[in-house]
Parts: sequence; structure tokens; C-alpha cells
Amino acid sequence: MTQPLLSVRGLQRRFGGITAVKGANLDLCEGELLSVIGPNGAGKTTLFNLISGHDRPDGGTVRFGGVEVTGSTPERLAALGLARTFQHGRVFANLTVRDNVLMGTHSRMKLARPGPPLLGALRELFLALIRPPGVRAEEQALRREVEDILHLFGDRLIPRLDRPAYSLSYANRRRLEIARALALRPRLLMLDEPTAGMNETETAEMRTIIGQLKARGQTILLIEHKLDLVMQLSDRVIAMDDGAEIAAGTPAAVRHDPAVVEAYLGHRHMGGEQTPDAVALEASP
Amino acid sequence: MGAWLDYTINGLIVGNIYALLAVGLALIFGVSHLINFAQGSIYTAGAFIGWTCAQRLGTPLPVTMAAVVLGCAALGVVIERVGLRPLAGSARIAPLLATIGISFVLDQGLQLLYSPDPRSLPSPLPAWRIQVGRGTIGALDILIAATGLVSAAVLFGFLRFSRLGWAVRATAQDSEAARQMGVNTDAVNRTVFAIAAGLGGLSGLLVGMYYNHIDTAMSFQATLKGVVAQVIGGMGNVPGAIAGSLLLGLTESYGVALFGSSYRNLFAFVLLLIVLVLRPNGLFAGRQAMSPEPLTGTFIAPSRPWDVPRWAVAVCVLLAALLPFLPNSAYALQVLTNAWLYALLAISLTLVAGTLGQVSLGHAGLLLIGAYASALLALDSGLPVWLSIPAAGFVTAALGTALTWPAFRLRSHYVSIATLGIGEIVGLVILNWESLTHGPMGVTGVPPLTAGTVELDSPQASYWVALAVLVLLGLMQSRLLGTHLGRTFRAIRDDDVAARACGVSLDRYKGLAFAVSGFAAGISGAISAHLYSYINNETFTSQVSVLALTMVILGGMGNVLGAVIGAVALTGLPEVFRFTAEYRQLIYGLVLLLMIRFRPQGILGTA
Amino acid sequence: MQLTRRAVLAVPALIPFAARAAGPVFAGVSGPLTGPNAQYGAQWKRGFDLALDGINGAGGVKGRPLQYIFEDSQSDPRQSVAVAQKFVADPRVVIELGDFSSPASMAASPIYQRAKLVQFGFTNSHPDFTKGGDHMWSNSTSQAEEQPKLYDFAAALGFKRPAVLHLNTDWGRTAKDAFVAAAKTGGAAVAAVEAYLGTEQDFRPTLVRVRDSNPDGLVLLSYYADGALICRQARDTGIKLPVLAGTSNYSPKFLELGGPGVEDVFVMTTFFPADPRPEVQDFVKRYRAKSGTDPDSFSAGAYDTMVLWAKLVEGWGPTREGMQAGLLEIKDVPSVIYGAATFDPRTRRVQGASYKRLVVQKGQFTLWDGNRPT
Ligand SMILES: Nc1ncnc2c1ncn2[C@@H]1O[C@H](COP(=O)(O)OP(=O)(O)O)[C@@H](O)[C@H]1O
Ligand SMILES: [Mg+2]
Repeated sequence: MTQPLLSVRGLQRRFGGITAVKGANLDLCEGELLSVIGPNGAGKTTLFNLISGHDRPDGGTVRFGGVEVTGSTPERLAALGLARTFQHGRVFANLTVRDNVLMGTHSRMKLARPGPPLLGALRELFLALIRPPGVRAEEQALRREVEDILHLFGDRLIPRLDRPAYSLSYANRRRLEIARALALRPRLLMLDEPTAGMNETETAEMRTIIGQLKARGQTILLIEHKLDLVMQLSDRVIAMDDGAEIAAGTPAAVRHDPAVVEAYLGHRHMGGEQTPDAVALEASP
Repeated sequence: MGAWLDYTINGLIVGNIYALLAVGLALIFGVSHLINFAQGSIYTAGAFIGWTCAQRLGTPLPVTMAAVVLGCAALGVVIERVGLRPLAGSARIAPLLATIGISFVLDQGLQLLYSPDPRSLPSPLPAWRIQVGRGTIGALDILIAATGLVSAAVLFGFLRFSRLGWAVRATAQDSEAARQMGVNTDAVNRTVFAIAAGLGGLSGLLVGMYYNHIDTAMSFQATLKGVVAQVIGGMGNVPGAIAGSLLLGLTESYGVALFGSSYRNLFAFVLLLIVLVLRPNGLFAGRQAMSPEPLTGTFIAPSRPWDVPRWAVAVCVLLAALLPFLPNSAYALQVLTNAWLYALLAISLTLVAGTLGQVSLGHAGLLLIGAYASALLALDSGLPVWLSIPAAGFVTAALGTALTWPAFRLRSHYVSIATLGIGEIVGLVILNWESLTHGPMGVTGVPPLTAGTVELDSPQASYWVALAVLVLLGLMQSRLLGTHLGRTFRAIRDDDVAARACGVSLDRYKGLAFAVSGFAAGISGAISAHLYSYINNETFTSQVSVLALTMVILGGMGNVLGAVIGAVALTGLPEVFRFTAEYRQLIYGLVLLLMIRFRPQGILGTA
Repeated sequence: MQLTRRAVLAVPALIPFAARAAGPVFAGVSGPLTGPNAQYGAQWKRGFDLALDGINGAGGVKGRPLQYIFEDSQSDPRQSVAVAQKFVADPRVVIELGDFSSPASMAASPIYQRAKLVQFGFTNSHPDFTKGGDHMWSNSTSQAEEQPKLYDFAAALGFKRPAVLHLNTDWGRTAKDAFVAAAKTGGAAVAAVEAYLGTEQDFRPTLVRVRDSNPDGLVLLSYYADGALICRQARDTGIKLPVLAGTSNYSPKFLELGGPGVEDVFVMTTFFPADPRPEVQDFVKRYRAKSGTDPDSFSAGAYDTMVLWAKLVEGWGPTREGMQAGLLEIKDVPSVIYGAATFDPRTRRVQGASYKRLVVQKGQFTLWDGNRPT
């Protein structure tokens, strides 16, 4: 048996009184698509944040590509080949579509971005001023690649290459974010509710795209509410509620697990559409 | 031992005074997420309204206090309505600039109305004093403490139990959601400004009576101390502001006890930095966890910059270079030389504030470092001037980056306040580090600009030097912005969380941007030192930092050409209005407000 | 509120018709009219205007009225250099007066020096100011001369362990060094030296430090506003020692701002309204009539400067060269501060100010009767 690409053991995160993630475990092998489902507030996004280094766990370990990365910074994980998108969409609003995707290639720039912290940074500055041919060629190659990646989304983004991201529609911003993550050529792609806020056509389109990525052998960790999509794409599914895993296994098995049905029925909100702001307002003192 | 009791009492007394300043600032920040730079001016206005009532009309104290509160509350409402509400839709940076402009107009208006002479404002309270330790406290100390506590209690009750208070809290949480739930957020903002301004005015009156001294130049210091106090307590946290103020007062008092009065502000700003780095939400904030995912790019407005064609820029540069051939142009050249030096500062600031999104208010510190480095290298180490200036650039780049390092982990307003503190610290260290900097005597006899053996001290030569350096550094910066560095800086500005997810190390790129920025600012300071031949710790003050930020915002954040235009406009305007003598600062402030009102994203737009 | 331009234009209307035959002679003034030091600019104008009222009222100098062009520099070096270029390029300007602060003045010095236009920095006590070039002159009292006089006063009051509080600027620092040196020569041990920033308002902790150094008197090298604050707070901190304040504390504002806190404070001054000399009496009478208050040392300095300028124009002609030549030669100009002012051509400063010893009694400055405080 091959070593899993991502391996999470006993991960925990507490926020004041509540424990958002209570001892999560998961293994993800190369080429696999694993979905995490669960009602709102189950702790899925928190789990993502812990894995991608955007939040620090209170306990447990994360191994990625065979190295222990618990509590690492997101930039280190990105350099190791982990890319992610965010539930509410985070694009660089004032950057063009092209520059947004180019940002995704940041950790792959080798010539323009030499290594060690202090001297490397100074060399990076110097190279940016001088722009030697190698650095220029690297940038050109990355620019070409950007267009290749955007072609994945048909004519959704290509015609808007030089528009600022703030001028895009919501669905296009979500696509742009995925494109940016792909530009990292990730070993692991983590998508947090990629179809949230999309209509049916757009969702179907997204399903095709994720399917294509999977077919290419891309390893994917997916958070998704739209169960149809999850059932069609996933190799395995983990269901969470109140920070804990309540079921795991094949899509079909998890779907019919009584604990999962119970969890979804017990929550009025199902589907990822309502704004978290309204919830925050009620909850805050 | 007895002395420490005295220091404690004295610290609490002055902390008491800071508390009155900080509460109003905290309230406005809590609701509008705005550092109200006009709060100090309202404080001054309150003092003068009080003076008019008490000294001219002979009103008794309660009436004076009521008049001050009402007068300043009305002023607050007007400020909110005229200066800030029209900017509601634009980026948060625009209202910030508006409050700076308003404070300008208010201060100058008061100065014209009352003359700049200091005035006495005797307290009508009975003169009895209570012995505490070996010192005494009087009726006014008690009134000030009571006012601070009562106003905090009333505010607390108002926020907690009244319907309007509920609306204020809802707006503070999320003004968009509050609006959707039917809260009249305009009314809320008006109320908040009225309350904060009323409090600010009252503090001006009480502090004026305490020192028996009011003048029209006291606003900036008041804002500064109030901001520091409320950050220590937690921005937007009203009870925290009071606790933070007392702590600030105590720290200052103990600092004076240990090292003397010249070190007082050093202690205040070091405390500020420590708090910001260790507990950015303030010492007294409830432990707030990582904020939930915010939406992107709110501090800087999305806008399309005007694309100025290259040939147009080239033509302007050429015309500027030919200007010295006009006869009788020495005065214009001097003004423009200043403008170019300010423009260097502005492109330096626009890189970190605009492109990187780290709004620094400490650039005066960089100027000082550059000026002192070049002056001392030329004088004490005998370096020729053409070498000492670039060397000063490198020194400033290194020192400036190292000093701002603690602020790298902070965001939005916190960066501004931390850098403001860092800038002040630089000035105070220069004042106190006599063996190196000659302390208060400053550095005299700084040699004039030379290149080899050619003296460049004619107005024409200085002008060309400044222009050439500006063009060179401006081109370099534009070139950098066209590479992956520019892209990365902007990405950090728009969303640092997403930037990290892309593999961007924030420290590295913030460090790079501050180094480039420090280089340009250091060069600007260094050239100034050689032009002026004399510098001291007050040659560049925090007001210069504020002015530079105004230039940057006016030109369009992150926009190199915009920064130059902003610098020329704001250096030129006061000269153009020279014929209006005492009125010129007032007119300048009004013009500034109009510009913000009608083009909040700056003349050329955000780049 | 008076507008400079208007002031400039209004003056000729007051001048007898004959005087208008030739145009006015101009001085350029670079100083703060706005910004944090605006109060000093306002005082200058009062002193200037009063002097000009007298001079022009008497027909001007050789039939030509004197006028000044006040350009606001905010006492900021960036603006004072621009103002300097303006004056240098204006052929009407025969002398420049100001700026207020050392950074502003000294930044502009190279420009005036190159243009051979006299820069008369009448408030610039920085010892290096007049070293900026042979066209930099000042009649501001020299600290090297003044501080030994202040120490003599302190000694006369019986101070053997004085504590010194000084403004931490070039001026305050120069003054402090000179005072400490004089005290050493005089055999007194300075108990404590405390520097404070110009923006300081809260002196209580500093005063506790001072108190705990067990001095037998306080010496204030401060401006009147901070001096008044220190005196008030000294009483609140439980300090009952005698206080001696230096010359820049002499101002009616010191009494107003200090209130009961400055009662019994000793003040040394170069200028005292009760001085029987006719030029002082004339100045004080007219100042009171015009402004309703007593003059202070800042307006006295401005007044003196205008009077001096008139003498220069009279004796050496209304030209830039005349001003420089005159300053080198002029002797015994009547002065409310100096009695008679004569410049040392090497230091380009004035020696021999006359000092008065005052004490505040019942809220008024009165001449000290020589009785030591108990
Ligand atoms: N930064 C935070 N501070 C406090 N509580 C948080 C924070 N982030 C998430 N939570 C809480 O943790 C729980 C899990 O949230 P989340 O991971 O966003 O759930 P999901 O993504 O499954 O909807 C929720 O109760 C949420 O309120
Ligand atoms: Mg989620």
C-alpha cells in the first residue's frame, strides 16, 4: 500500500467554548477525490484551515507528502504543493484576471525568486530591476500557461483576461479562484464549496470541470453541500457534524447512513446558501 | 518608596485626562471603523467654546459644560453630515483623509477666530486640595475622573439598554446587515458622532481648566495621545479606552521617574508598539479569535487608474527640466525642488501605503534617518556628499525595514498607528541619543550638494538634482511594479490570506517593499539635509508623515505618477494661496476636502 | 484679525503726504503666521506695527515710509527656504527678519548668504546661527552672557543646590549648559537637570524627580507658557521651594496662565515696563494703548528690531549693501532690551543687555527688593 499524500490524525481546534473540530482523522491518496460533507457549522472549513496552515490546531498532526507539516505556514504548504480555494471567494480584487492566476504560480517561480530569506530577497529585488533574459523567459512561460489554465473554463474567463477581478460576476470569481489554485500545479487541490451561489447550469459546468481534473489524476479534497455532485465525483466521503466525523466510506454508504440523515434533518439549514453574517449577528454578544 | 506613590498618583491623574480623549475616539472607531483625526480639533473647539462662555459670558460651570457638550455635539453632527456621509460608499481611506482635512479647517478657523495666543481658562471650582502622598489632588482632578467614569457608564447603559444603543451596536457589528434589518445607520452614525464630539469638547474644556491653558495648536497632541490610549485599551472598546489611558499615564509617569521627561513619549510609544505586537486587539479586549473570513479589498477602493500616456509624462519631465532656463525663476524653482523632494517621499509612501496596502504614518522617521545618516556620514566620517546620499538611502532602507518589522504582522489601521509610533520613536531617539546625533542642538554645517568638485548649491542645480533623482527613482519604482514584485505587493494589499495561500511570504515582501520605500525616503531626507545645511529632530515631524499620506491619497493610492502630482499640488497650493496670509491654511484645508469629496479615489486613481 | 496684505496697504494711508514722495522701503519677514508657532508670529506683528506706527508717523526715514512683507513659513524649513528665494528675488527687500525657529532660519541661511541679503534672526539664539555666513546677524540675547546673570540672581536668592528645568531644544540646551557652567564657576552644586519636550503639559512626575533631588530652589529655562504650567504644578506636587524663571518667561501671559501658581516666583528680564528709560516708557505707553496689554519680551524684540532697521536705513541707505555695512558700523542703537545695542562684528551678536530682577507679587511683576525668600 502506498503512503497517503495527506494524512490527518486527531486534529482539534477550539474557539473559546466550542470545539469546532474534535479529533479529525483522514487519509487521502494520490489521485483520489475525497469529499467532506456536513451541515453548516460542522467544522469543515475549520478543518480545511487547519490543513492548509491558515489556522493552528490545538492538537493532532497533519502530514503532507510524507513530511510532518502540523502548524506550518500556508506559504510553506503552498511551496510543498498544496493549493486551496475559500468558501466565500478570495480573489485579488484590483488585480486583473491574468495577474490573479499568475499569483498562483508564485511558488513555482524559480529564477525570479531565489531562495534564502534575506540575501535571496535582495537578489530577487535586484533581478526584478535588471530583468535578465532567464527571468523574462520564465515570466513569459508562466503567462502562456495562464491562458492554458483559463481555457479549462471555456469562454468564461479568457475574454476577460485584462479586466480587474472586482468587475467579475460571483460565479466567475469562484472560477478564477480555482484557476489560481491550479496555477500552483498542486499535488493536492482543496476546494471549499466551489459551487456555492451558483445556479444549476453553472453547477453542472463546475461538475464537469472537477471531473476533468480528477480524470487527469489531480488529487482533490472537496467540501460540498450539493450531494448530487458529491455522489457523482467522490471516491470516498466523510460526513461531519459538530466537529466530529459521523460517517465515512463510499458515497452511497455515507448517504444512507442514519447518522448522516439525522444530522442533516436536525439542522434547518441545508445547502450552503445563507450568509454567515446573519448568523454572526445573532450569535455575537 | 513614598516617591513611587507620588508617581502612581501623577500617572493616574494624567491617565484620567487621556481617558476623556480616548473614549470619544473609541466610540467612533467602534461604530465607523474610522480613526477620527478631527477629534483633537473638536477637543480644542470645546475648550474655546468653554472659554467664550466662562470668560466672556460669565456662565457658571454647569452651564458652560452643557454649552460645550451641545455645541460640540452639533459640530460632530455637521462633520458627519458634510464631511463623512458623502463618502460612505468609498474606501475607508477616504473618510480618514476627510477627518484630517476637517481637523485642518477647524484648527485654522479657531485660530482666525481667537488668535493663536494661548489663553487661561481658570477653574471656578473651590480651591481645596487633598493631600495624597506628598502631593495633592484637587476638585478638578475628581471632576475629571468622575466625568470619565460617568460618561463611560452612561455610554454603556445607552448601548446596552436603549433602542438606539442597540442600533449602534448592530451597526458596529455589520453596518450592511444592520441596514438590511431596518436600522437607520445614518441616524446611528450621527448619534455616535454627536456623542463622541460632545465628549471630546467636554474633555477640551476640563483639560483646559486643569492646565489653565488653551491654545489653537493643541489638537494634534491630543489626538495622538487619545489614539495611543485607545489602541492600548483595544480599538473601539470604550471601557478598554479608560483602562488603556490609565495604563498609559502610569507608564509615562514611571518612565519619567526612571529616565526623565524627555523620555516620556518614548515610553508611551514603546508601550504602544509592545501592545500592538503582542495583543493587537488591545490589552483589555476579550480574546477575539481569528476573524471569520472577511470579504476582500475594503480598505482601498477598486478603481480604474487613469492611464497617462508615456509621451505625455516624458513631455512633462522635459518641460520641468527646462524650467530653470526661465529668468527670475529662483522662487518657483525652490518651491518645485521642495515638491520633488516631497514627491520622492510620496512615491516612497505610495509603494507601501498604496501598492502594498500598509498605510504608514511614520515616514517622517525615515526622512530623519536619511537626513541624519547623510549629514553625519558627510561630517563625521568625511564621506563626499555624492556618496553619503546613496549611503543614507541604504541605511534608511535597512534601519527603516528593521524598525517597521514589528508592524508587519498587523493589518489596516493598526499598521498606521504602529508606524505613527515608530516615526515618533525615531524622532525621540534622535533627540536623546546625543553622542551620535548632537541631541537638541541638531547638526549644523551640513555640507552643500556637490558632485566631485562641482558645487551644486545654486537653486538651478539643486532643482535639477532633485528632479533627476525623482525621475530615476520613479522610473525604477514603475519598473519594479511591472514585475512579479508589483503583482505580489498588490496581491498582499488586496487579500493577504489568499496571498499566503499562493505561497507568498508576507514578511519577505513587506520587507522588500519597506526597503525600497525606505531607500527613496532616505534619499529625500538626505538631499533635504544638504540643502538646509542644518537639521534637528524637529525638521521632520509626524505632521510631515500625515502630509505625505495626504499627497498619496490625493494622487491615487499606489500610483507613482499620482504621488508626484499629489506632492506638487500640496506643496504648490499653500504657496499659491500665500497672498491670503493667515487664511491660507484654511483655504488649503477646504480645497483638500473638496478634492476628497469629488474624487475620493485620488486624482489618477488607485493603481 | 488683520490681513498682512491689508496691513501693508493700510500703512501708507497714515503717512503724511510729503513722505510719499519716494516709495516705501521694504523688509521681508519670514515667520509663523499659521501652524503651531503662530502665536509668536502674531506677537512679532504687534511689535513691528507699533514701531512702524512711530517711525512712519514721524514721516518715515528720509521721507520714505518703512514697510514689511510678512511671508508665512509656519516656521518650517521647507517653506522658509521658498520664502527666502522669494525675498532674494524681490529687489525691493533690503533686509530679511526671522525666521522664528532655528531649523527654519538656518535652512534658509545659505540662500540669504549667497544673495548677500542680511538675515536678521532676532529670535535665533542657536550659537551657530550667526556662523552660517557673514550676513547672518542676531540681536537675540546671547545665552553665554545671559545665564551667568541668571546664576548671579540665583546666588543672590541663596540657591546653593538649584535644580534646573529646561526646554529640550537648541535654545533650552544652550541656556542650560551656560547656566550649569556659571553655577560651577560660582561654586553651586546643581542638584538636578531635567529636560522636557516643547509639547509637554504634565510636569508632575518631573517635579517629583526634582523634589527628590533635594534642591534648594528651581531654575526654569522655559518659555512663559510652560513656565507657568511648571509653577502651578510645582505647588500641587508639594514643592514649596523658591522658583527663579529666565527671561523668556517675562510676559503678561505668564501671570495670566500661572494664576496663583506663579505668586512669589522670581523672574529675570531684559525688558521691564517700569524701566524709567524714555524709549521703554514710550514703547510701553503706546503698546498698552494699542493692544490693551503689557508687551512681553517677544514683542519687545520685534520692536527693537524695527527700530534698529530704521536706523540702518537712515544711516547707510535703503540698500542691501547698506544694511550689511551698517550692521558692521552701527553703535549704541536705542533699544528697549539693551539700552544701547552695538554688534560685535566677529560674532554678529549684541552684548550688554540690561537685566532686571523681578518677583511676582499679588499677581504683578514688581522689582525685587533684595530680600531673600524665607
Ligand atoms: N474564527 C472563529 N472564531 C470563532 N468561532 C469560529 C471561528 N471559525 C469557525 N468558528 C466556529 O466553528 C464552528 C465550525 O465552523 P466552520 O468550520 O466554518 O463550519 P462549516 O465550514 O462546516 O460550515 C462553527 O460553530 C463556527 O461558528
Ligand atoms: Mg464552511
